[in-house]
Amino acid sequence: MPAESSHRRASGLRRTVATTPAPGGRRRSRIESALGRNPAGLLLSAPYALFVAAVFIYPIGLGVWISFHDFFFTAPGVDVPQPFVGLANYAEVLSNPEIRASFVHVAVFLVINVPLTLVLSLLLATALNNVIHWRGFLRVSYYVPYVTASVAMVTVWMFMFNSGGIVNQILGPLAPDPAWLVNRTWAMPSIALYVTWKQLGFFILLFLAALQNVPKELHEAAAMDGASRWQAYRAVTLPAVRPATTLVVLLAIITGANLFTEPYLLTGGGGPNGASTTPVFLLYQQGIQQGNPDIASAIGVLLVIGVLIITYVSRKLTERD
Amino acid sequence: MKRSIIILIAALATASMLAACGGGGGSSPQASDKQAAKGPITIWYSNNPDEVKWGKQVVATWNADHPDEKVTGQEIPAGRTSEEVIGAAITAGNTPDLIYNTAAAAVPQFQKQGGLVDLSTFPDGAKYIESRTGDAASQYASAEGDYYQLPWKSNPVMVFYNKAIMRKAGIDPENPPMATYEEFLATARAIVKSKAAKYAIYPSPSSEFYQSWFDFYPLYAAESGGKQLVEDGASTFTDKAGTSVAELWRTIYAEKLAGNEPYTGDAFADGTTGMALAGPWAIASYGKMDWGVAPVPTSAGMKPEETYTFADSKNVGMYSSSKNQGTAWEFLKFSTSPKQDGALLETTGQMPLRADLTKAYPDYFAKHPAYSMFAEQANRTVEVPNVANSVEVWQTFRDAWTGAVIFGKGDIAGALNDAAASIDKLVSQK
Amino acid sequence: MSNMQPTPRRRRILSMTLLMLGALVFLFPFYYMIIGALQAKRDPSLSGAIPWPSNLTLSNFLDINDAINLGRSLLNSGIFTGVVVVCTILFGVMAGYALATLHFRGRGLLFAVVLLLQAVPFQLLMVPLYVLLVRGFGLGDTYVGMILPFAINSVAVLIFRQFFLQVPKEMFDAARIDGAGEFRILWSIAVPLVRPAILTAALVTFIGPWNEFLWPFLITKKQSMQPLAVAVANFTQTGAAFHANAMGSILAGSAVLAVPAVVLFIVFQRHFTETHSATGVKG
Repeated sequence: MPAESSHRRASGLRRTVATTPAPGGRRRSRIESALGRNPAGLLLSAPYALFVAAVFIYPIGLGVWISFHDFFFTAPGVDVPQPFVGLANYAEVLSNPEIRASFVHVAVFLVINVPLTLVLSLLLATALNNVIHWRGFLRVSYYVPYVTASVAMVTVWMFMFNSGGIVNQILGPLAPDPAWLVNRTWAMPSIALYVTWKQLGFFILLFLAALQNVPKELHEAAAMDGASRWQAYRAVTLPAVRPATTLVVLLAIITGANLFTEPYLLTGGGGPNGASTTPVFLLYQQGIQQGNPDIASAIGVLLVIGVLIITYVSRKLTERD
Repeated sequence: MKRSIIILIAALATASMLAACGGGGGSSPQASDKQAAKGPITIWYSNNPDEVKWGKQVVATWNADHPDEKVTGQEIPAGRTSEEVIGAAITAGNTPDLIYNTAAAAVPQFQKQGGLVDLSTFPDGAKYIESRTGDAASQYASAEGDYYQLPWKSNPVMVFYNKAIMRKAGIDPENPPMATYEEFLATARAIVKSKAAKYAIYPSPSSEFYQSWFDFYPLYAAESGGKQLVEDGASTFTDKAGTSVAELWRTIYAEKLAGNEPYTGDAFADGTTGMALAGPWAIASYGKMDWGVAPVPTSAGMKPEETYTFADSKNVGMYSSSKNQGTAWEFLKFSTSPKQDGALLETTGQMPLRADLTKAYPDYFAKHPAYSMFAEQANRTVEVPNVANSVEVWQTFRDAWTGAVIFGKGDIAGALNDAAASIDKLVSQK
Repeated sequence: MSNMQPTPRRRRILSMTLLMLGALVFLFPFYYMIIGALQAKRDPSLSGAIPWPSNLTLSNFLDINDAINLGRSLLNSGIFTGVVVVCTILFGVMAGYALATLHFRGRGLLFAVVLLLQAVPFQLLMVPLYVLLVRGFGLGDTYVGMILPFAINSVAVLIFRQFFLQVPKEMFDAARIDGAGEFRILWSIAVPLVRPAILTAALVTFIGPWNEFLWPFLITKKQSMQPLAVAVANFTQTGAAFHANAMGSILAGSAVLAVPAVVLFIVFQRHFTETHSATGVKG
């Protein structure tokens, strides 16, 4: 029987210092109480833990500290006042209409991208699971966008979607004017379409793996009970891939909220009057281009908090039904 | 789980405290000691092939005579991100002694970071700069009148036109009428209507902060008779000059005389557009095209000798991480001497920011009459204002521009006024 | 095969047709990129999607090789990505195994941190990291500096952990009762078992550094050290001025960047998908 379900369920973590008797009923030594039953685990995970501490904890800590001060990066040895300003940066971020707009853009993106990704990846994974001929070719085709760099793909995409490009030529009079990526209404949906296409392969992979793990017996039982294909799908397959569904939704939300590369490359500068900016894009602009790392850090912290809230909510939702 | 969260928060808090304490510290040697120090130095220059050629030559020439003060040159990718690279290098303390690719718009920020050396503190600093560049030097000084950059070279923006396309459109290729806005629009419409080219002119419509330097700013400099975007702490562009420039461009975009999407490559070199706003650096990419050059248009038409434009200058900064500032200053003067400025002109075709260029290098301009137009124009250029938050200022302007002018949303006066209000606020911050 | 009812022939044909159509749509931009890279003159019209022999040339590749040394950049990409993959597998398997099967103090904390990391955007960390690595450790313009922030991929750690969670505990407990030390268990039992997951993790880890363009750009100045993704990004952004067919050269560079990743994927996809069942998320 499976030991633990989805590894995203933090509530499934065991407490680190247990007082249950060790196997064989030995009394716990003091080392074991202090370091846990298998102290070798500390050694094994040490390199990774050190890496995480150096590469992430320190910069995040610095970022959080910066967000509470009036701060900018200076040359070494230059002393400038860096007064503590409490929540002033956060207030400025929340009251800035352009930054608020970027959060709205990300919301638009998520609303388009997450359901689309979920439905398409599940459908395609199911179909790919059942296909017999051409399986290799089909699977590779759906993964190719995921494996290719955005840096490589955006030029093609922009070429295809500009006003004289192939997509508009096919659409003829239906083509929007201004063209997709410079159009206020269509810029963010165009980016959402691009990112969905590009990431789908990864999510198809996750679902494929989950589908292949559904025990045959369940399907056979449903078939024997006379269930139709759709009923069998709903009653057997969907619940069985629930953990994968949760994971897909979570990862799609997190990558969507942190969207940077695609707006940066596809609409360099953030689109017409900032029509396709995202919080991370503005973080980059403020922090690195304009030399305001304090505002940038405030955006970053708010974003992380927002993402954590959304993922918490979405987990509760997907795990209840 | 709860314990984990508490421990995690404690760790983050500790890390942030440590991080805060980590910065700064250490006493730096006296400025005057550094200024006297001599020794090997490093310089960076852009990776434009012609500039690399010049750079290698000037380094080799200096090294031959100064074996104890060797200069090492390195090219850096010059792109829209080169300012970001320099800013990060300042923070890390690994900037070279001199960077021959410092954009004027970034200097206020670098100065704020403490990354630049005040050249005016050298005994002959201000004198050298002002005698080489003349009156225009004042545009490159800080608010207090100090020089944190040495104005090095400019690429005055003028209107290039493709003579073949003009011919096809039925316009006189030697003297196309484009001195007034009316004439300019008529020429533009003729080009597009006759299908000689898909567009009449095609500045980049994307939203990076510096794009306005190649559509709005040159025309505004001309129309306003040499005003900067911000003067004396207040935005200037809400005046009649700024508004008429904005309205001209709005007409151009509305009639589809210019494209509103980013173009990959060079639209003028590809023949997609009949005219382009560029400086002499672009000549190398036009190959065999038969091109002509004219000053930018103004609403009522001005004599070419009175028309201003944008300087598009690249300057030299001396960075505070430099230990051998004595050598750096001597090398800086050497590389901007009349001889080396002449070499720059010959090798790259870009205009050294030296007063009265045509008089200084008569032979060159006799041999290259096309460039003499740029040299003449170089006497009347406007640079970006040296103000706080300069990058954010230009980004604010660009955002208003793309909305109101390129995509015609809302009214121009309103957009310009809103931008001016935000910009005034940004400029007043320290 | 998970579906046991025989699917009617009509449904299968419909499903196959739709899949094929979808596959073609998915592949089209990639195909268009290759065609564009091979074209002598840029052609945005519909007919430009067909590889007319008269318009084909390899000159775009030569062109971009003049501007950026493709070979050298590929080498840098290879070094960067290769070291990251090796480090990830080495330390990731250890960490994943420890997180899944061993009980030690700090296990929960480490796991929570791994999850938290996913939510933090890298751009927030970039400048502090840069200052730390360059000012603190002097690693500017070095491969180590380039590799360090990416050294161990956290998603791979999660994949390994998930994998080990599905291995029956009895296998390890039996060995422990026999008196084997932890490291021996890891080496003789865990590692041979985890081979299928290694492939998955390697492929997932490969994509990150191979396609990364912001960080290496910041940390290196010398063009000779930059990986191909950075070189192509720079080339694209400077508008590829001075080049006859700018679009073609950019697409050529993009193709050189994309093709190795796709080829690797094709070669390993068989193992990737069929044995991925062992690493999948269980119900």
